[in-house]
Amino acid sequence: MTFKAAVEKTPNLESAWRAGLQALRAEDKPHIEPQDPRKLKGSVDVDAALLRAEPNANRWDFGIAYQHTNRDAETIYWVELHTASDSQISVVIRKAQWLLNWLRNDGRLLAAFERDIVWVSSGATTFTPSATKLKQMSQLGMRHSGTILRIRNSR
Amino acid sequence: MKPPPPPPTRPRIRRVPLPRLEVENFGPIKRADVAFGDITVFVGPQAAGKSLFLQLLKLIVDVSHVKREFKRAGVDWQGKFDSFMDVYFGEGMRSLWSERRTKVRFEGTEIDLPKQVDTKTSTKPESMFFIPAQRVLAFRDGWPQAFTYYDPGVPFSLREFSEELRLMISDLGTAETLFPVPRRLKDEFRELLQKHIFPGFNLKVDAQRAQKRLVLSSSGKENGGLPFVVWSAGQREFVPLLLGLYWLMTPSGASRRKGIQWVVIEELEMGLHPRAIAVVMLMIFELAARGYKVCISTHSPQVLDAMWALKHLKANHAPPEALLSVFDAPKTAPMMKLAADVLKKSQRVHYFDRDKGVSRDISGLDPWAEEEGESGWGGLSEFSARANDAVAHAVANAKL
Repeated sequence: MTFKAAVEKTPNLESAWRAGLQALRAEDKPHIEPQDPRKLKGSVDVDAALLRAEPNANRWDFGIAYQHTNRDAETIYWVELHTASDSQISVVIRKAQWLLNWLRNDGRLLAAFERDIVWVSSGATTFTPSATKLKQMSQLGMRHSGTILRIRNSR
Repeated sequence: MKPPPPPPTRPRIRRVPLPRLEVENFGPIKRADVAFGDITVFVGPQAAGKSLFLQLLKLIVDVSHVKREFKRAGVDWQGKFDSFMDVYFGEGMRSLWSERRTKVRFEGTEIDLPKQVDTKTSTKPESMFFIPAQRVLAFRDGWPQAFTYYDPGVPFSLREFSEELRLMISDLGTAETLFPVPRRLKDEFRELLQKHIFPGFNLKVDAQRAQKRLVLSSSGKENGGLPFVVWSAGQREFVPLLLGLYWLMTPSGASRRKGIQWVVIEELEMGLHPRAIAVVMLMIFELAARGYKVCISTHSPQVLDAMWALKHLKANHAPPEALLSVFDAPKTAPMMKLAADVLKKSQRVHYFDRDKGVSRDISGLDPWAEEEGESGWGGLSEFSARANDAVAHAVANAKL
């Protein structure tokens, strides 16, 4: 199954699939740098699509699919664009917990893809990579990429 | 119509240029360009040239003093620069210097080192105190050795460090205490050192068959003591460093030792637990606050954590207690003053890239910098970052 097909069969996301990075807001697009834009397999604005169904949840931002040259199936980059400061770590951790829970339930078709859960700084980054909190994030399956997520052709 | 008023002008701030040393084709260094701050940290893998660079700086600022010390000790390089390099940097080091290719500029002026070694004589006093990485060797038998005790193949930095400490403690009588002692270091430093490095111990002078030596004795007990050979690795490494700090922080009330402007401390973290490293970093801040220009080489990510914190606290006008909280240090009036002074100091971090043979200014310490040397803090945080990424990937893709 492709990313597009999985999105179209996921509750509340049925019409959320967009080509390339079209699901991202204009100000968010510069934060994503695919090595080969032709290998982008679409994107989805999870936050907007689930606003009505889960208005009070800590919803995750986006899903972006990419066809790596060394993978048979597409990989989904689950991207949260958020201020990167120590005080925001717990907020983003709650969002990651929501994402994982959603993937286990309504998003299970999308959970079948290889994934990378990435926090991209929407502004300046003010925490250190050796901080214990980054280890806590890793243990939740999330990494921080700085202000730019660079997606290489080979993973 | 009246012309519009001129735009307001900012008051011009006169910036004092940072001292700068540029070196080309010197041992493993193809090109190093280092601007010094009040605190300058050097990182990079083994054999990248950090120590050679710092020893070269010592030679440049103290060439007359170095020559005087050698002559006083009866060392004769017979007017040959090659031989001088072997006695100054250590046996076999003559090949560091290439007559045709090595170039050195200090503070914008070309330095003809062979000529200076050959001709320069002056009474200019020593201006740099150098605490070498091999400092533990100065205490081989529990007492610092004389300059002349060492083989001429031993680097000058170690021989001189050993001699300075020997002279400093030679007047101490048997049973005299070296640590803790009043008027040596701030009370807070003494308490932190007792807690983290000498728990329950005093550093004292003892004599074995009339030969003085340093021992660690249990606090409150008069007799006996543990000789140097049975100290913990951290204590063996730290005692020479402590005495070096004593040398720099004179008890006379002067903030600096006369004439000394520069301090080099190599690998301050050797053998120490992170809590002890934090205390040593605070003492290094004390040196900077006293007006010394401090250069540190390190393999400890903690030292860069401290520099990173200092940079961001300064940039965000954080109060002194924020800096003290990084070190879990008491927020007493003297420590608050120290932190406030340090927050006004300039800092630089340089990475010596062994593979390319160049130095890079990574003072930004930006963990998200494009340049790997900076984002990985000269290799010191790469491992931690890789561990985080590997765990994140494994957890993200575990069965939900």
